Amino acid sequence: MIFRPKYFFGETFSGFRKNFLMFFTAITTVAITLFIVGFFIIIVFDIQAILSSIKNQVEIAVYLKDNVTDELKTYLENEIKGWDEISQVNFVSKDQALEKFKKENEGSEILKEIQGNPLPASFELELKSPEKVEQVALRFMDKDGNFIEGVDEVIYGQNYVQKLFSITAIVGTIAFLIIVVLLLAAIVLIFNTIRLSVHARRKEIEVMKLVGATNWFVRLPFLFEGFFEGFIGSVISVVLLYFLSNYLLIRVEKAIVDTMHIKDLAILGSNNIILYVYAGLVILGGLIGIFSSGFALKRYIGV
Amino acid sequence: MNMIEFKNVTKVYEDSTIALKNVNIVIKKGEFVFLVGPSGSGKSTLIKLLIREIPVTTGSIFVAGRNICNLKASRIPQLRRNIGYVFQDFKLLPNKTIFENIAFALEVIGKPAYAIKVQVPQVLKLVGLANKINSYPHQLSAGEQQRISIARAFVNRPPILLADEPTGNLDPATSDGIMKLLSRINLIGTTVAMASHDKSIVNSMRRRVIELEEGEIIRDQKRGVYGS
Repeated sequence: MIFRPKYFFGETFSGFRKNFLMFFTAITTVAITLFIVGFFIIIVFDIQAILSSIKNQVEIAVYLKDNVTDELKTYLENEIKGWDEISQVNFVSKDQALEKFKKENEGSEILKEIQGNPLPASFELELKSPEKVEQVALRFMDKDGNFIEGVDEVIYGQNYVQKLFSITAIVGTIAFLIIVVLLLAAIVLIFNTIRLSVHARRKEIEVMKLVGATNWFVRLPFLFEGFFEGFIGSVISVVLLYFLSNYLLIRVEKAIVDTMHIKDLAILGSNNIILYVYAGLVILGGLIGIFSSGFALKRYIGV
Repeated sequence: MNMIEFKNVTKVYEDSTIALKNVNIVIKKGEFVFLVGPSGSGKSTLIKLLIREIPVTTGSIFVAGRNICNLKASRIPQLRRNIGYVFQDFKLLPNKTIFENIAFALEVIGKPAYAIKVQVPQVLKLVGLANKINSYPHQLSAGEQQRISIARAFVNRPPILLADEPTGNLDPATSDGIMKLLSRINLIGTTVAMASHDKSIVNSMRRRVIELEEGEIIRDQKRGVYGS
């Protein structure tokens, strides 16, 4: 068979013109369903990114007794620095602690009440992997459950940290399931719509077959058509998502980040994941289009 | 030369109805043949077998000397390009103009555009509807639509033209016109086989008549009439 692009594209585009309603329906279906899927994926990535930013801020504060000697302090500091899980150790002296406290409570009555310096010196530990926080904290205890020499108290937000970790895990699983379900629903919906648009032209297929068109000759315009429907629909969904995320989501995100004192702005601001989401949606749209058409044709092409 | 030959052809459908029983037919090049018989007698099955829309159960069918029963799927389009097919219900595409409907049949078999531009008006002239080239099927009468359907089947100048009840939806006067057209196409040298219910048409034409009943040939008569 000679490949004749003029015929195929001509058929595809005159099809667009003459079956406008069918094309319009198919394209809108693709656009809307993929938009919903994409929107959910972005939100989920966003939530995940914010949660992991929070996770990364998990710290351990090790408060020292007032009578700790410089020697013991240096010994402890070196010891801690030697642990694999630790990414950073900051020493906060009694004076620094008081200064920080004053700064945070400026103008408050409480400052007048303070006499001398009641605040302890401390080590602030940042972790490479926040999940190991408990393990690290336990190292400051001996086997009887007492703190080791020089340490007065270890605080890492015990309850809060565990909850955070289990919430992250649950949110991750649920989000994944929802995305899978949404994606399947989108695929089925798109498939059915495109199948309808093939069905609407079954007479044409019948005539083509009976005048001696080869199967590929019948198939190609429909595959083009399916591809265009999927492609155009998904591009529309991506454009919508782009505007939505750049003008709306990013503001919401900034607000969340500001109120929660998160250091790095998460996904939308700094991450390329969203570009992959966009590219993925367009590829998915085109492929569903082609496969739906091809699959729908199987029924009619066997004349 | 034998254009069409059925040799001991039997067709049994999947639901085990026997549509044709040991049928033998020879149709020579340039013949005009009526296939008559009541509904369910096997006329349509015969035509469908010829264009390989369905496969035979046993026996063999030759078209222009070639056995089409063992044709590979990829060769079926080639067979169909040599057989024009006229439907009872025309099967014109409603969203294409008359020109596009006929051109479509040429496009899908890979004819170049310049040939299409010449051939379509020519065949429209032959069926007497050159002035309808830019109309849509719904703007035409039933008889005119059938002429267009014949034009589409014949535009590629196939050596064989099959017509399945082409006058089934038409009134007698219009039917006469269609028969004249088919006769003219036959005169050019095309082998024509036509299934029909229409007694008066068959009788007035005085052509070869093959009568089927319950899948068997009960009569094959030169210059025959509908009922014996």
